[in-house]
Amino acid sequence: MERNSARYGTLLIFVVVVFAIIAARLFHIQIIDTSYKEASSNNALRHEVLYPPRGEVVDRNGEYIIRSRESYDLIITPLDAVPFDTLLLCRIVDVPLPRMRSQLEKAVRYSRRRPSVVVAGLSKETKLMLDELRIAGFNTVYRTVRSYPRKMAGNLLGYVNEVNAGDLARDGYYRSGDYIGRSGIEAAYEKYLRGEKGVKINLVDVHGIVQGSYQDGMYDTLPVAGKTLTASLDAELQAFAEELMRGKVGSVVAIEPSTGEILVMANGPTYDPDELIGRERNENYARMSSDRRRPLFNRAVMAQYPPGSTFKMVNGLIGLQEGVLRPENRYVCNHGYSAGGLTVGCHAHSSPLDLRHAIMTSCNAYFCYVLRNVMDEQEHGGAASRGGYAKWAEYVRSFGFGRKLESDFTAELNGNVPLPEYYEKVYRGRWNSLTVISLSIGQGELGTSPLQMANLAATIANRGHYYIPHVIKEIDGQPLESKFYEPHHTAVDPEHFEPIVEGMYMAAHEDGGTVKAMGMVPGLEICGKTGTSQNAHRDHSVFIGFAPKDDPKIAICVYVENAGFGSTAAVPVGSLLMEQYLTDTITRPALAEYVKSMQIQYPHYDGAN
Amino acid sequence: MTELIRENSVSGWVRGGNKERVLGRGVDWWTIGVWLALVVMGWVNLYAAVYDETQGAFELGLDYGKQLMWIGASMLVALLVMLLDDKYYHILAWPIYGLCLAAMLSTIVLGREINGAKAWLVLGPLSIQPTEFMKFAVSLALARHMSGYGFTLGRWRGLWRVGAIVGLPVAVMFMQHDVGSAVVYGSFMLMLYREGLNRWIYIVSGIVLGLFFGSFWITDTGLLMAILVGCAAGFGFIHRNWRAPLVWLASVALVSIVVWTGARFALDVGWSYYYVLLAVSCLAVAVAAIAARAARIGRFWVLVVLFFSSLAFVSASGVVFDSLDLHQQKRILDTLGVESDARGWGYNVNQSKIAIGSGGLLGKGFLEGTQTKFDFVPEQSTDFIFCTVGEEWGFAGSIAVLALFCVLIMRLVKMGERCQEPFARIYCYCVAGIFLVHVLINTGMTIGLVPVIGIPLPFFSYGGSSFLAFTLLLFVALRLDYGAGEEIER
Repeated sequence: MERNSARYGTLLIFVVVVFAIIAARLFHIQIIDTSYKEASSNNALRHEVLYPPRGEVVDRNGEYIIRSRESYDLIITPLDAVPFDTLLLCRIVDVPLPRMRSQLEKAVRYSRRRPSVVVAGLSKETKLMLDELRIAGFNTVYRTVRSYPRKMAGNLLGYVNEVNAGDLARDGYYRSGDYIGRSGIEAAYEKYLRGEKGVKINLVDVHGIVQGSYQDGMYDTLPVAGKTLTASLDAELQAFAEELMRGKVGSVVAIEPSTGEILVMANGPTYDPDELIGRERNENYARMSSDRRRPLFNRAVMAQYPPGSTFKMVNGLIGLQEGVLRPENRYVCNHGYSAGGLTVGCHAHSSPLDLRHAIMTSCNAYFCYVLRNVMDEQEHGGAASRGGYAKWAEYVRSFGFGRKLESDFTAELNGNVPLPEYYEKVYRGRWNSLTVISLSIGQGELGTSPLQMANLAATIANRGHYYIPHVIKEIDGQPLESKFYEPHHTAVDPEHFEPIVEGMYMAAHEDGGTVKAMGMVPGLEICGKTGTSQNAHRDHSVFIGFAPKDDPKIAICVYVENAGFGSTAAVPVGSLLMEQYLTDTITRPALAEYVKSMQIQYPHYDGAN
Repeated sequence: MTELIRENSVSGWVRGGNKERVLGRGVDWWTIGVWLALVVMGWVNLYAAVYDETQGAFELGLDYGKQLMWIGASMLVALLVMLLDDKYYHILAWPIYGLCLAAMLSTIVLGREINGAKAWLVLGPLSIQPTEFMKFAVSLALARHMSGYGFTLGRWRGLWRVGAIVGLPVAVMFMQHDVGSAVVYGSFMLMLYREGLNRWIYIVSGIVLGLFFGSFWITDTGLLMAILVGCAAGFGFIHRNWRAPLVWLASVALVSIVVWTGARFALDVGWSYYYVLLAVSCLAVAVAAIAARAARIGRFWVLVVLFFSSLAFVSASGVVFDSLDLHQQKRILDTLGVESDARGWGYNVNQSKIAIGSGGLLGKGFLEGTQTKFDFVPEQSTDFIFCTVGEEWGFAGSIAVLALFCVLIMRLVKMGERCQEPFARIYCYCVAGIFLVHVLINTGMTIGLVPVIGIPLPFFSYGGSSFLAFTLLLFVALRLDYGAGEEIER
């Protein structure tokens, strides 16, 4: 014990020696060796961010639809700035003095130490002039600015703008002043388009002049350019679609059925994405967001229209699959369907009809019978309907309705296929197939987007399956994630599609067919179906179709809001686009001119005056 | 030399302790004062490290806000510790040890991986690191075991148990890939030294560690000189003869310099001084061995073996290490517990040294640090928190912090020494050792003295578990010391 307590002293000395070594080392680093102070003073190491060029996008024929162009941002680090000739700077960058003042104040408010963007989008000439002036605290950084050579498809291509606080918190990649894709392709493929920022660590002297790279660039990283995307879009066809939709509100979506690739996605009204770049961005954006026709609203994936008669094929298919309908079954139509004091009207056509002719002439009564037979089938619980409806809704969902298709559009909405519980609640448990009879003709609570309807056209064209629609087909020449290559089968077996396809073929080729007058093009074998979808205002004109009948190359859906019958506006638009795509010629130039010049009145959008 | 110290200073310390003990005493308020000072400085410093002028002046959700809540909780725990009777620490030593070990083991299955170490248990909003509390548990268990009747360090049976108490948690830490925390367990060597572990263990491991770190810090020539001086000093101590080794050293120096300059200027050959010195000293060792044999000096072979084995150790470790690829070197340092460094090797320490060095004498002032902002320094609120001290408060502030830690450790040693019970003494020494190793490694790595090992600086680094664990460690020591005082007063 005595011997051990002697060690107490040795221990104390050990502790003191340890602390003395640390103190000596600190003394050396902090007091004697001045190289560390030099290394640190005035931000000796300047981390210069090297921005990668943002990825570009080409269409399916290799034509550029999104380009990146060289541009420079003027950056200020307020702490390093000294008083300077503000007027001269304003003259060089062409910014009015008050605006410059407010930008500088904003930068100081954000941070005295962190760099902020003062003026964005400067040309190379301006950058060189600024570099020559070398104003303390200011420097320029390379950025890329977007340009959209075809000046079209605003909602499809999307736009980029500066990151906001939410983006900064969500993703550590971004720094204040960075750009991020906001909608369309720009948003959905942001991760591929943005590339990777690089960093160059420079040694900077007291005067802010770069002395060389830190440790011979050992810690520098090079920026990695954003990837080039190949869109499945056909730019020619898209431009033609936008021309046809001029003066109308609505949407056109065309899909290649064998792949799910989107060929056209045109909205009316559309906008030129170039308008959302550069200095006029804010004004243009404000103008577009206050436009009551809502050009920034991507109707193709966000609108929820009633599908109208284009939905009759789905009901026919469900009936066939359930075994309550055979193609030869004929039903009488006496200007409509009447049951229990309720009547669903119909137009004049011969009667009775079988399934093919019912589709050809778009008979309402026929599908009222079909829907009631499906819902009231004994094994689903009979006329109480709840079970029958649930079964029906399950079929409908298998076609991609009432849910997102998981396409590469971030803005995609579900649409609406009500759950049985919805009707239970609304009708307090007292409802049956007659209550929801409008579903048979695609009215009632149903809500579908043009993308979902184009997908229906593609599904029928494929006789029972679809591929998730997508607008990008390759990323730097590499295929997409596997979900885009897997066929999705509906709950209806392929053999039931043949009579439906025949009915759609007859609609475009036989007298009395709803599509024939405005839609038939000899030799193209178009199959189609019109819709006249009822809503609070004048009916929407709807068309879905595909061509040719066998081995289809294009499936299409056209909505023209408040244009009346399907054949008045939607059919010619769809038929012209299919003709253009399949044959690269227009045999009916007069019709094309007529559609282009067609102006629909929208009092509820534009106001009473 | 030890005799010398005992005569002069140490007995004074001990005597002082005895005097107090006779008079009886209360809580050691000095320690509490030092602790409070460290807590306040630590929090203010953390605030500065986390502070970002683009955010608000105070946000509870940020690290410093969360730390404040942990400080509050820790103070409550400290109060509870002081109110609990000290006999419970004897009783609860083993249960606490078992509980902590179980918690650590459960992290392997249930734990969440943060920064490459799977050492976290997530309970609702709390993330707890059982590793931090294990130090407390091991200290209690060691104190309990070693204060048992009939325990002596000389026997293998006792030592074996001590090894197991320390070794079990260390083994778990290896399984968690948390080798950095395992290094801390070396701190118990301090307590074992006090309790009388064979001093040769310390001498040999001291030499090995010295050479190992030496090979990182200083040039080969410097290391060789150190070995020569060490051997000469060894001879001096063993034989109480200082003249012969001094003459020997001087002649080695003279001959080597003459040969080197001669080769350079007369023969115009640019020999490296290292190889000249190496050749001359090998020759000189041989000459000395012959002379020693002639003079019938016993046990000289020990020094010869020491000289050559040191040389072999240094060159072997150096040659093996250098022959590896850079990424393999990194991997070895990774497994040694040296932190992996995403942006490049040495970058972290270099940035950290620049931050501390730029502080100068008085520092740049509160919130004025530039290097510790902007993420120049990595992990600036946890492992590299000392950079903010060095940059904003300069040499003066750094020394003040170090002085506080030094006083804290001294007080702990003193508390241990004045307790008559071995339990309290052993516990206090354990705590002193833990604090010493944490401060030494954490501050040492920020100034490039020791390799980068990710362990926290007590009361400064952000982290609730470590703050609470250090508070617990310290206040149980205070409680035991207070208890020993009570015993005497009764």
